[in-house]
Amino acid sequence: MKKLFYEFLKGIIKENPTFVLVLGLCPTLAVSISLINGIGMGIAATFVLLGSNIIISLIRNIVPERIRIPCFIVIIATFVTITEMAMKAYSPALNRALGIYVPLIVVNCIVLGRAEAYAQKHSVLNSLFDGLGMGVGFTLALLLISGIREILGAGKILGFSIIKGFEPVFVLGMPSGALLVIGLLLGFFNVLKNRKI
Amino acid sequence: MSNRLIVSVFPHLHKDESVSKVMWTVIISLIPAGLAAIFIFGTSALWVIILGVVSALTTEGVLQVLTKRKVTILDGSAIITGILLAYNLPPKVPFWIPIIGAFFSIAIGKQVFGGLGQNIFNPALVGRVFLMASWPKYMTTFTKPASFDAVTSATPLALIKEGSVLENISYLDLFLGKRAGCIGEVCILALLLGALFLLLRGYISWHIPMTYIFTVAAFTYIFGPKGLFSGDWLFHILSGGLILGAFFMATDYVTSPLTYKGQVIFGIGCGIVTAIIRLWGGYPEGVSYAILMMNAATPIIDRYTKPRVYGRE
Amino acid sequence: MNAAQFLTIFISAVFIYNVILSRFLGLCSFIAISKETKPALAMSLAVMFVTTMSSIITWFIYRFLLIPFNLTYLRTISFILVIATFVQFVEMFIRKISPPMYRFFGIYLPLITVNCAVLGVAVLNVDMFFVNSKAVAGSFYYSTFQGICVGLGYTLAMLLMSGIRERLDLANVPKSVKDFPLAFIIASIMSLSFMGFNGFRF
Repeated sequence: MKKLFYEFLKGIIKENPTFVLVLGLCPTLAVSISLINGIGMGIAATFVLLGSNIIISLIRNIVPERIRIPCFIVIIATFVTITEMAMKAYSPALNRALGIYVPLIVVNCIVLGRAEAYAQKHSVLNSLFDGLGMGVGFTLALLLISGIREILGAGKILGFSIIKGFEPVFVLGMPSGALLVIGLLLGFFNVLKNRKI
Repeated sequence: MSNRLIVSVFPHLHKDESVSKVMWTVIISLIPAGLAAIFIFGTSALWVIILGVVSALTTEGVLQVLTKRKVTILDGSAIITGILLAYNLPPKVPFWIPIIGAFFSIAIGKQVFGGLGQNIFNPALVGRVFLMASWPKYMTTFTKPASFDAVTSATPLALIKEGSVLENISYLDLFLGKRAGCIGEVCILALLLGALFLLLRGYISWHIPMTYIFTVAAFTYIFGPKGLFSGDWLFHILSGGLILGAFFMATDYVTSPLTYKGQVIFGIGCGIVTAIIRLWGGYPEGVSYAILMMNAATPIIDRYTKPRVYGRE
Repeated sequence: MNAAQFLTIFISAVFIYNVILSRFLGLCSFIAISKETKPALAMSLAVMFVTTMSSIITWFIYRFLLIPFNLTYLRTISFILVIATFVQFVEMFIRKISPPMYRFFGIYLPLITVNCAVLGVAVLNVDMFFVNSKAVAGSFYYSTFQGICVGLGYTLAMLLMSGIRERLDLANVPKSVKDFPLAFIIASIMSLSFMGFNGFRF
């Protein structure tokens, strides 16, 4: 049981997909402009990650090695389609907010990356917790980045303007600002890591 | 790994001088433009310069202490960055613009790379471009010279970009600085005085500025508004930040190529990009962006213009 | 079909809307592989090959399969499948030709499949060169050319970045920003400077 908990926990800090493994950046940077988008994307991606990790782990001994990537993609795409349809049905506002980035979960390096690096080599239960941990880690990373970008870059939280008289730093809403935030956060986490040792 | 031994970084000085002496000489060469700025735009220009310099010094000092490195704020390089950043700002910007700009220049443009001699990009321009992207409103509001009320006026290049006809601006006005613009870029006379000083003393060579300016002139002449070969190249040379950029920022030792051949490529590249942005881009001025882009290309330029080592193939 | 359109595609894809620095597609491999010039160039060539070929293949699929059978909503799934299969072939090819290079690329070779740039250019081609489910005149050539140019843009960014990072290898960079954080900051500054091309109009 402890081992399973470890599989979950590592996705949050030690092997955080965004800050440690440095995967899944394209959608991260694009989506992290506002907190709502960040949260929505995080939840959607977690669901896909869970589903695909489980299924891929289940069939890992059956899939021929040469065509494994297309197989994984089909499985991932299926879960993404389910997510997309569910979102359209139960939360159309969120779907509109995220727009094309929901289908873009298909090309989120984290999902395929975990399938390739983990799910095809480990048991179903382990893969389940790994997927969950990675998803939560990803979501937390998104929250952090989009929080910074929205509060400092647009002067808002969840769409509501805060502090009057504050001149938002527009560049944070742009690709350049996104890259800067990630770079600085990575550096910051490194400082924390070095202190611990 | 053999290439680790060949390319060395600044300073490679031919004379028997220290980094400080070079820096302080450059500062002296920048003084005429500063005096002109204060004369043309008033005390607000002075404040911008002071705030920029103080912020740069403070940032560098604090960061060097925090990262447990030698504190080198007296070598003059931070002061130059502060001055150059200030020169790239409009006269009536809010006080926090030069402060944040200089902070960003030193912190992200320089210290993050390991400090003096190791930065890839010109720190002052990094700060300027950051400010431009973050607070465009403040960075593009200019005042008419010699009037100390807040009458905004567009720069000559901005007017051309909109397609307006320029009234009452002669080449002499441009040369002396009687126009709206950033505080350090408008007075060509003062800038050229400083540049001449550096050239004569051998601190900068003519390769980059001349190729840069010539390329811009050629492009703007050829691709003129009324068909080929009808461009007003003299106007373009005297407008915007070209003179300031070509002589004082593109020539920065650390961020430009080592060999003369490389420098010529660098100058031409800067010229092409500047001209393209001025002629067909959305922004009226492209000097900052051009230099930064060529800064990025400098390592590659250096790699392919390495001087041949005799005795080897 | 005219030359101006080709010129616009070239300048757009390589400079103004550079796939990595402006659209930030293809970042994962960019940050990971751009440490040294040789592998960076190798990866760029691989990506350019994939973007070009997939532009061609997806064009055919869209034009002769999806449109006639009214299946355009299957665009994303079919495109990504095509790309994935194609990348698998490339992977097998590299494995045979040069095992050390194959090992070097590691996880990033199959990740070309999910290189947003590849799917991105395929989708972009469809959006730009098909109007009302009909192919614009010359759309095949435009699409293929755009595939090439996106690859070129990727190569440009990789080349610049690898040169910079190689030089910084010799520098005394603060420990906490070494490697990845610095790479992002450099990319941020490069992205800022490429913004100079905004609003470009011929």
